[in-house]
Amino acid sequence: MPLVGLRQRIASVRETRFATVAFVAVLAAISAACSGAAAGHPGYEPGYGPGGPGPGFFPLQPVSQGGTLVSNFYPFIFWIAVAVFVLVEGLLIWIVLRYRRRPTDTELPKQTHGNGVLEVIWTLIPAIIVTAMFVFTVDTLGKVETAQDPADNPQMTVDVTGFQWQWTFEYKDKGISLTGTGRDGPTMALPINEKIRIRLHATDVIHSFYVPQFLYKKDAIPGRTNEFDVIVQQVGTYAGQCAEFCGIGHADMHFTVQAMTPADFDAWVAQQQAPPPSASALPSNAPLVSVTSVGVVQGFTPKELSVAADTPWSVSLTNSDAAVPHNFSIHSANADGSDWNAPINADAGGSVTYQPPALATGEYTFFCSLHPNMTGTLHVGQ
Amino acid sequence: MATTTVTHPGTIAYQGRRSWIYEWLTTTDHKKIGKMYIFTSFLFFIAGGIMALLIRTELAFPGVQFVDAETYNQLFTIHGTTMIFLFVMPMFVGLANFIVPLQIGAADMAFPRINALSFWMIPLGGLLLYSGYAVGGAANAGWTGYAPLSAQGGAGLDLWLMALVLLGMSSVLGAINFMTTIFKMRAPGMTLLRMPLFVWNTLVTSVLLLFAVPVLTAGLMMLFIDRNYGGGFFDPALGGNPVLWQHVFWFFGHPEVYILILPAFGIVTEILPVFSRKPLFGYKAFVFATSAIGALGFSVWAHHMFTTGAVYLPFFSFFTFLISVPTGIKFFNWLATMWGGQLRFSTPLLYALGFIALFLIGGLDGAFLAVVPFDFHVQDTYWVVSHLHYVLVAGAVFGIFAGLFYWFPKMTGRMLNERLGKWQFVLLFVGTNLTFFPQHLLGLDGMIRRIVDYAPNPGWPELNLLSSIGAFVIALSILPFIWNVFITLRGPRNAPDDPWEANTLEWATTSPPPSYNFDSLPPIRSERPLFDLRHGLTPHAAAALPAGPTETHDETRADAPEGSK
Ligand SMILES: [Cu+2]
Ligand SMILES: [Cu+2]
Repeated sequence: MPLVGLRQRIASVRETRFATVAFVAVLAAISAACSGAAAGHPGYEPGYGPGGPGPGFFPLQPVSQGGTLVSNFYPFIFWIAVAVFVLVEGLLIWIVLRYRRRPTDTELPKQTHGNGVLEVIWTLIPAIIVTAMFVFTVDTLGKVETAQDPADNPQMTVDVTGFQWQWTFEYKDKGISLTGTGRDGPTMALPINEKIRIRLHATDVIHSFYVPQFLYKKDAIPGRTNEFDVIVQQVGTYAGQCAEFCGIGHADMHFTVQAMTPADFDAWVAQQQAPPPSASALPSNAPLVSVTSVGVVQGFTPKELSVAADTPWSVSLTNSDAAVPHNFSIHSANADGSDWNAPINADAGGSVTYQPPALATGEYTFFCSLHPNMTGTLHVGQ
Repeated sequence: MATTTVTHPGTIAYQGRRSWIYEWLTTTDHKKIGKMYIFTSFLFFIAGGIMALLIRTELAFPGVQFVDAETYNQLFTIHGTTMIFLFVMPMFVGLANFIVPLQIGAADMAFPRINALSFWMIPLGGLLLYSGYAVGGAANAGWTGYAPLSAQGGAGLDLWLMALVLLGMSSVLGAINFMTTIFKMRAPGMTLLRMPLFVWNTLVTSVLLLFAVPVLTAGLMMLFIDRNYGGGFFDPALGGNPVLWQHVFWFFGHPEVYILILPAFGIVTEILPVFSRKPLFGYKAFVFATSAIGALGFSVWAHHMFTTGAVYLPFFSFFTFLISVPTGIKFFNWLATMWGGQLRFSTPLLYALGFIALFLIGGLDGAFLAVVPFDFHVQDTYWVVSHLHYVLVAGAVFGIFAGLFYWFPKMTGRMLNERLGKWQFVLLFVGTNLTFFPQHLLGLDGMIRRIVDYAPNPGWPELNLLSSIGAFVIALSILPFIWNVFITLRGPRNAPDDPWEANTLEWATTSPPPSYNFDSLPPIRSERPLFDLRHGLTPHAAAALPAGPTETHDETRADAPEGSK
């Protein structure tokens, strides 16, 4: 397959994406004016950054080996589809223009009941085309699904567990385990140009591990371990999200993949393995607020808290739920207006002390980022 | 022989005997039942449409502004369930109920009382589904109800299960009724290969329902047992398997796609020859393609499950590709039917043309989804949402409006206003593309579906706003239709028996038909008996003579209707 030619064609088409962007630019103004209400959003997801090409007729820029294979194969299907589309719509428009009924049409048109040769032709040609598409599909599929080859061992394995509504990433041979929540979620650090095996587990319902820039997703299914291999080719930070609908917190089940050079990755591993810093220096007179979270349905107790303005403070969360982790987060508490998300969760039966930022006078809403329906009011005053 | 004098001695027989409400509640007349199906499903269309507007209002801007996550999850669950089980399916059953017995020259359905039972299960099922809102929240696991998520949740999900069991039973009874009617009640001379294509599509749809729905019902029962009695069919902790639900659901769910679209194919295939003044190009090819789509529809279910890692990918990829061949045959034969014709651009034809122009996009998308590695990327993204709405809105809804405009004069004796119909068509055409095309681009860019909130990545807010504006344009397009029906029904009966110079038997009787349907039938020597009547036998039809003796069914003569005492 002439990959170079294909790539050039992709590049030329990518330029037409800017036309798409321009096409919606008018709406951007309206949208920008109206989305003031939505202020407080942390902005673009990692990998989508400002100045990105934006949505177009082609998948977004892949950063993995498998994604590149798919991205290179996509134009083959796309241009066949465009050709069929133009052919059929063109014929349709021609028919509509050419064969309108005219006042002079008193005689019946020629009554044609069919044409065996023509019908065989437009049965066989599509059959040949889809057979070709199938052959190339299976070829590409085999290259993408390299995990099918047991002889080709990965250099590293990450165990991913999805549960409502967060992810845990475990590097078992390195003793690293990360669990996180919120818009950025936990970060999976990966060395580039190494074959990584991702093993997918789920404990409650089905989730799906999706990194758009891998152009790949695979489901995490309770009672089953799915796995796939990925070779990331570009250093960068990429957004990931649960793609299989999994309940009330589905939209918040984000994570981040950070691809780095092998040297940087080794440094990251060493940093993760270092013992966590002891409790940070908080003034001993800092007020401590206590909250008990009772459960997903009942929510927090109490539901109203008061702290002083512009003063360092801390909050102790006791999770009295029998099975489910919770946390204490605050909407619009960061300096840039975004939500302050709890860095860790309180496991069932456990207790965690958080140190949220000092807050200006006003009313805030605190919540559990795992269960957005659990909320309470935080009064910040003098 | 070629002309009939029609009088209607029976039309006023029961007038004044019963109140109209009693008459409608107890009727077993396929035409009245058909109208009740159509009216009921249209109400559900409005309900499902309002939910779609709430969804699109929330998604118009990034952030959570309008409904919370739980409300949103219930909205898209009930929207999908409503549109599929309470709108498109009963709407087509309603059209088929009214039209199929007329098109085959029968006096009623084979089992008129079961027909009434099938209908009354529809509002009951709807009531069950919506009563979830009264018991602490409607179902919230998506219309696909994936286990084990659907094992969580409250009583709304149990009501959802019961509603679907009931609606499924209605469908199975209806399918048996249609199959029996079509096989046993055809008028003399109406051989299988002279049946109108709408009848053929109804027949294949009925076969699909008969084989697919019981599988779904079994799955629903298993889920009900899991939820209430600790069954463990889908719970790995008890030795069950969540993937089993997906196999069961999609073994029903993929044929269901054809259940939702084949009747629309049938309507378009009826309309094009009439408004082109030409016969159907390749009648037998249409019969073959319809049957092939029905058969292949059972071999592709797991293409909804490529990302589970639990299915043999090449098999389902191959059959998904293959199913585009019979669909392609239909497209080219539709075009060839119009080629060289004399097109009259009445509203039914506009909707049929809109169907071809836009359903093509939904069909081409299908070939993309057969490309397994590409499916890995777009599965569960807005690309799929776009695809399925190009099938169900540009396909099923356009087909429904084509059928409603085409058969409205036959059902009511009144012609719908053409100017309002054309305005409606333009608005719906624009709105459909505005709503659903941007979703292709969002999906390619990685925006997943079923999320109440999305990141304001470059281009996402703009395309979502465009899609939301489109949804309101679609809603706007429905207003002229409602107004059109309202003023037309208040107006005088102005429709002749055969306003479109059509080909099939329903146009041989009055508009609307008497309760016993036909005073007499024209001879049936081809698939266009009314054309033959108007223009004399064409050589094509003459070549089909004589009708073989085995092809007549004297016991199903229109003057000896089954079911009458
Ligand atoms: Cu999830
Ligand atoms: Cu929680």
